[in-house]
Amino acid sequence: MSERDGKFVLPIGPQHPSLKEPCSFKITLDGEVVEKAVVEIGYNHRGLEKACESRTFVQDLYIIERVCGICSHAHTSAFCRCVEEMCGLLVPRRAEYIRGIVGELERLHSHLLWLGVAAHEIGFDTLFMYTWRDRERVLDMLAAIGGNRINYGVNTFGGVRRDLEPELIAEIGRVMDALEEKLKYYFELALVEPALIGRLSGIGILRPEDVRRFSAVGPVARAAGIMDDTRIIEPYGVFREIAVNGVTDDHCDVYGRTIVRVKEMLESVRLIRVMLRELPDGPISVKAPRRVPAGEILIRVEAPRGEDIHYVRSTGGDMPDRVRVRAPTEANWHGMSYMLEGFHLADVPIIIAAIDPCYSCTDRAVRLTDAGGSSLHAWEELRRLGIERYQSLGIDPSGIRLREFPRG
Amino acid sequence: MTEQETINRLNAQFPFARAVSPRRMRVFTDFMPPRQFEAVLRFARDELGYGKGEHIVGTDEGEDLGFSYIVSNGETLLVIREKVPKADPRVRSQYALYPSLLMHERELVDLFGADMRELPPGPSYPLPDGWPKGEYPLRKEWNPAYFNKNTMRYEPPEGGGEAKT
Repeated sequence: MSERDGKFVLPIGPQHPSLKEPCSFKITLDGEVVEKAVVEIGYNHRGLEKACESRTFVQDLYIIERVCGICSHAHTSAFCRCVEEMCGLLVPRRAEYIRGIVGELERLHSHLLWLGVAAHEIGFDTLFMYTWRDRERVLDMLAAIGGNRINYGVNTFGGVRRDLEPELIAEIGRVMDALEEKLKYYFELALVEPALIGRLSGIGILRPEDVRRFSAVGPVARAAGIMDDTRIIEPYGVFREIAVNGVTDDHCDVYGRTIVRVKEMLESVRLIRVMLRELPDGPISVKAPRRVPAGEILIRVEAPRGEDIHYVRSTGGDMPDRVRVRAPTEANWHGMSYMLEGFHLADVPIIIAAIDPCYSCTDRAVRLTDAGGSSLHAWEELRRLGIERYQSLGIDPSGIRLREFPRG
Repeated sequence: MTEQETINRLNAQFPFARAVSPRRMRVFTDFMPPRQFEAVLRFARDELGYGKGEHIVGTDEGEDLGFSYIVSNGETLLVIREKVPKADPRVRSQYALYPSLLMHERELVDLFGADMRELPPGPSYPLPDGWPKGEYPLRKEWNPAYFNKNTMRYEPPEGGGEAKT
């Protein structure tokens, strides 16, 4: 902590217990009140866009999936749509429905994770444990579909790599029934619990004019009454057939963002039920060419945190000339200083958490270290360990067939 | 305002913009010199209602650098583009028009070497402290194989080495 002109400048981060990932904030305090906040990001920049330029489109799909561990499916959905549209591919309806189901499951696990983190930040650890317990059921479903709790590897160019068997469809339906009951309870809790309302109301305010000025997206914008849901504004995939009931709120604060996310989870449960009920028969993918015709494209999808924009340019080869990803958090950082200024230092962690920041931190290789030293595991070994781990939890993903891509 | 109305207004006011719509809810202009670009961008915000700064895509155009500013009216995405020579990449920050594009403009400085005038002071983004001056990783000639992470120096072999792409 340093003192400047009688004001304290408090550095928070890049490593700090209240931050889940590295980021740096320089908070100038007037007593307990935040007078000025400077945000420094970039600690997790991994050069993924440069990496994409020297790899094939198929290899890039795996890089893009690792932009973010929480909304990996949203990123691959956007990237696949870029390539599919440039190649003129028509994705089968069944694949679009499966993409939609996985996307809404992803929104559920992301919002449940956020609700737990937010509760933890205000000292409401009971709610944190409840929501993360419920999130496990969603992650189990995602693991049953794709073989992984995150980075499910479901999307591919021209469709999806995993189909849904009748038993799994029934199980997802049962999980949705159980989850809906819990979500209704959380919604009721948010409406009546005085501690929750007291800690979340009136802080981190971003009014509609501020949302427009800072171009905020997702639940942050919708909590200020601005409907910017891409599934509604520019319906894509299954959302061309199944309408989304948009959620907005007018509190313009952290409490409003909480209400929006809880309501969105209830809407995701409804959407998943409709998609499971109306899942069409048919193929789950069409063959995609290795080379992508020359051109450029700009695609957006609705990730759990908001609008996710992908730009791809091809010169006609099997590698992209340029890939640019604008994740929703990148849009929401701009208003952060404004949201912090004027509020108490004790509210800083929950105001930061309220945009659900994602710093993207998943690596591609795993080094396991123990007292005997460290070792690198090959893919087959990692897969075997993963299967054994899930079998010990009562889930057997060993029957999932890996799709083989023709060489040459 | 629909994409067709946007195209009609833009092309009537600025024929050099050559705006087209490659798909629904998208409008792309041609690359323009900075002065023309600034006039089009201001017109789009003030007259056409494109007040939301979405993001910026920097591209290596061979001898030039291209900067595509993506703005929105809440529905349609409008891409307005400027081009400057790599040898003299002077452009003006559009922070005053679109505060939300500040971080993206800092990215153009770090990764492409844009000489961004009137950019407000602040931390660089996204390259780390100690990154060597004059090294711009998203230019095509920059090859990550020649970057020594331990010394933080770019060390291509004699003759410049190969571009990565």
